[in-house]
Amino acid sequence: MKRISTIVAVLSVFVMLVTACGPAVTAVPPVVVPPTAVPPVVVPPTQVPPTAVPAITGSDCSKANVFCVGVVTDVGKVDDKSFNQSAWEGVQNSKKDGSADWIQYIETTDSKDYAKNIATFGDAGYKVIVTVGFNLTEPTYAAAQLYPKTLFIGVDQFLSKDATHPDWPLANLVGLVYNEDQSGFLVGALAAMMSKTHSIGGVFGTDAVPPVWRYGEGYRAGAAYEDTKNGTKTTVTNVYHSDVGFDKTFTDPTWGADTANSMIDKGADIIFGGGGKTGNGAVDAAAQRKVLAIGVDTDQYATLPEADAYLLTSAMKPIPQPLENLIKLAKAGQFPTNGLYTGAAGYAPYHDVASQVPANVDAEMQALAKGLADGSIKTNVPPVKPAQ
Amino acid sequence: MDWRRFAIIALVIAIMFGTVVLVGVSQNSPLVIITSMLATTIAVATPLTLGALSGLFCERSGVVNIGIEGMMLGAAFFGWLAAIYMNTIYHEAAMLSMIVGVIMAILTGGLFALLHAVLSITFKVDQIIGGTVINILAAGITGFLNRQMFFGAGSVFGGQVPHTPGVLPRIHIPLLADIPVVGRIFEQQPIAIAAVALVVISHFVLFHTRWGLRTRAVGEHPRAADTVGINVLFMRYANVIIGGFLAGLGGAYFTLESISSFEPLMTNGRGFIALAAMIFGNWTPFGAWAAALVFGAAQALQINLQFFRELIPPSLAFLQNSYVVGLAPYILTMLILTGLIGKTIPPAADGKPYEK
Amino acid sequence: MQSTDGKGLIKTLKQLLNSLLVPFLAILTAVIVGGLIIKVVGGNPIEAYKGLVQGAFGTSKALSETAVWATPYIFAGLAVAVAFKGGLFNIGAEGQLAFGAVTAALIGYALPGWLHMSLPTYIHIPLAVGCGMLAGALWAAIPGALKAYTGGHEVINTIMMNYIALNITSFLLNGPMRDPNPLNLSARTPEIAASARIPRIFSNPLLRVHWGFILALVVAVIIWWLLWKTTLGFEIRTVGANPDAAKYAGINVKRTIIITMALSGALAGLAGAIEVTALNYRHELGFSMGYGFDAIAIALLGKTNPFGVILAAILFGAMRNGATRMQFLTQIPVDIISVIQALILLFVAADAIIRFVYRIRIRDERVVLTRGWGG
Repeated sequence: MKRISTIVAVLSVFVMLVTACGPAVTAVPPVVVPPTAVPPVVVPPTQVPPTAVPAITGSDCSKANVFCVGVVTDVGKVDDKSFNQSAWEGVQNSKKDGSADWIQYIETTDSKDYAKNIATFGDAGYKVIVTVGFNLTEPTYAAAQLYPKTLFIGVDQFLSKDATHPDWPLANLVGLVYNEDQSGFLVGALAAMMSKTHSIGGVFGTDAVPPVWRYGEGYRAGAAYEDTKNGTKTTVTNVYHSDVGFDKTFTDPTWGADTANSMIDKGADIIFGGGGKTGNGAVDAAAQRKVLAIGVDTDQYATLPEADAYLLTSAMKPIPQPLENLIKLAKAGQFPTNGLYTGAAGYAPYHDVASQVPANVDAEMQALAKGLADGSIKTNVPPVKPAQ
Repeated sequence: MDWRRFAIIALVIAIMFGTVVLVGVSQNSPLVIITSMLATTIAVATPLTLGALSGLFCERSGVVNIGIEGMMLGAAFFGWLAAIYMNTIYHEAAMLSMIVGVIMAILTGGLFALLHAVLSITFKVDQIIGGTVINILAAGITGFLNRQMFFGAGSVFGGQVPHTPGVLPRIHIPLLADIPVVGRIFEQQPIAIAAVALVVISHFVLFHTRWGLRTRAVGEHPRAADTVGINVLFMRYANVIIGGFLAGLGGAYFTLESISSFEPLMTNGRGFIALAAMIFGNWTPFGAWAAALVFGAAQALQINLQFFRELIPPSLAFLQNSYVVGLAPYILTMLILTGLIGKTIPPAADGKPYEK
Repeated sequence: MQSTDGKGLIKTLKQLLNSLLVPFLAILTAVIVGGLIIKVVGGNPIEAYKGLVQGAFGTSKALSETAVWATPYIFAGLAVAVAFKGGLFNIGAEGQLAFGAVTAALIGYALPGWLHMSLPTYIHIPLAVGCGMLAGALWAAIPGALKAYTGGHEVINTIMMNYIALNITSFLLNGPMRDPNPLNLSARTPEIAASARIPRIFSNPLLRVHWGFILALVVAVIIWWLLWKTTLGFEIRTVGANPDAAKYAGINVKRTIIITMALSGALAGLAGAIEVTALNYRHELGFSMGYGFDAIAIALLGKTNPFGVILAAILFGAMRNGATRMQFLTQIPVDIISVIQALILLFVAADAIIRFVYRIRIRDERVVLTRGWGG
């Protein structure tokens, strides 16, 4: 009987060797399912374009006339219901509107893999590579220099000309940046105006991540602005989940819920959840306590349906639209060359809570949005938390 | 654990509460602060208590269980999944769906525990390995299924996370809950109440019933137990599965009581803290509960000191640093462990497979 | 067991193959079961595994990345394995690794400034790495001492030390050790001096594999030699196998426990230090997360034997590395890798199952690790 196991062992070694030493998939048409099977793209079922004949697959990306777009996420997944998911949505939209022929994502599970993941798309001939998150700033810059014919879009990646980046701006790299402090400012102002107890709270991931910190401080600044204007005194309490590691800080919804509850117990009647899944937990808990909540990054009305009845607004960092635009520009050969592209700041519609928002508050919000956009109102929030 | 230890733990918790009250009294009344901290403490301690009780039953019968984390995570996912199916696909009422969800979570915990039992007791695989396997397996399966079922073309719910039936409602204890301000503590959700009840029940079962006696015998001197006719293997299997049920209930807390959604890896190390609580409590239910409360209070301390950050006097400025405060529960645990408890004494046959 | 030359060699080879057969079949079975799971949820297992293997071994760059992944796994796996051999469960590798990394980074970027002179590589590198080891050793020695002198269970104390280490390093990386460059937005140290960097093996800039990998292999051999060919190793293993017998044999059990933990911590610290000096050239919050826990699985998979640990580390490194290509080609979530890893561990550990399935004679040796659980 032992012979059987030995034969099995030898056969499998043989198979593995053949597989590993076989030609790379990009050189040979994949021996895969027929085109009518589930495409590996995360698209709602009705979206497969009927004109997909002959079907373009990932292996065609190196061809000159095939426009492939790849997304490399930060550590975290495309199902995080906010940040990474928005980026993927934007890229999916570009496939729907025809800019992209083929789209794909790679989820990074360890910061060690940033360069490798970008290179996987680069080597496969993708025309545009989107990297998501400020942690990928350096690897994206390096990759842009290694793959000069590939266009790179770095979401949340701010760069400028300095000693470490003397060649900036690069013709093939654009950083899609946002003024999170402005979005935070807007929702903070709204919260201050809407709060009946004059106490509002914010539950965030770690403040070591600059965009998160900017949201929090913008929130505080917006509330303060309205206080000065209306003569109120709103207590703003922000709690950051800085006591755990990066792998946990954005994925701890239970802590988010506990913290939100703690704030509500002490009188806060509006809770801003800004920090991936941790923030989602806070929004969820607030909704359960029948307390108004504010989402972040995208209009979380769609992604957090259980909180809809109490979701006042979301601090927007609309990623899909500007990303779509950039990809369109890339395809048309008009990729921006000044290195930065600022996405709009904003706040989401009130949806189910609209009836509770007085007309004058709404008018003030629109005025604030305008003021921030044209520069007449400033948040005065530094770009990163000062060293302690 | 003796009364001296309990007294010191109570003192430590009181000091933590007192610090926050002193700092925040200008903004909220002491009663509000204490109630709020108590609420947070209970919320944090609930899954830890259940996890610790789970570990307790396993280890008292002689089986080391470091897979509590995986059991809770698996239970959280499958319980939540069952509730969603009941609510969305079978269109059952929310309450019924959630009850089914809790039952499913308990059963899932039991199933994982059964795997652990089979590996450790029958195959005599080293129990640390068994527990590690469960942790990795649970993380992988729940993450994988969460993705496949909710985020793709052809996924069961068409790419949109379905509306969940919500969370278990708070139960209003008459009279006590009507007390202004403090009354909120007496309005608790079922699993939180169950956790406390189970501490008392576990203590009673372990130390005042025949079952408990046999369990402990099997954990201390299995050979002797065997000679007086106790079925060692059966007792171990049974206790491990009971432990699984308890961990399952702990898992249900995450997705059916605390919040109504699942996130991959949401247990976030709490299973290991539960393990620490069990050891800290010297393998007794009340001891484990006390440890869980210490952790809960420490987390409440951390959250509240950030909440009252602006009010911290300059002399205590170090408390403004979230990392310093974040250290509190862990250093406290080590100090209390070293200073008070010293040598922890597990069941004598803990970890040793039984050879007939 | 001496026999004539030819026969002896064949016998040794046979024994070697034998001991590898079951783990190999275990892996194979896990792969098959994993493939079934993929199939059940609608994926293509062949494509998935093809992607995995290509991503791990298919090109020279892939091999290089696998080696890069395997390096910290080898060190951390050895750390946990050594502790297990001494009857101790070191869950604290994560924190010890963090301290090793932070210390190595500090020596790497700050020392030339303190001494007002530049240092030659052959001094700077050993200093940085050595201090990293020392930091890890110290961090582990504390719970070790607590266990030796107060009986405090090392499982709790090492878990606590992990969280404490996390908070301390977060504090350091956000504060005193933070890269002062105003454009820097991350919680990270400045880059370490060029003299503190461990060089890569190949001149091809695409191949990141560095001499740290070779060092890992060498250290594994050293640990093997230490554990089986020295008195200290004998003491460690005896205390691990039977502390009472060790005491009666005259071994200083308390001292041995502390040394075992310190050694374990040194290895974990080495993992962190090498990542800093050979790969990242700085330490950043969020680097090297989770390696301490992976190390437990690796040590178990390698049956706490240094050479087993090397193989297990390479396997896990290959899987982590290849998973991205698998996802790139098939869009199968990377979580499936965890499931397969769990299954591998399961089948390797519960080799009775494998032996039953493939009809191999049941052996009686068993790995026992929980002996030290009893306080």
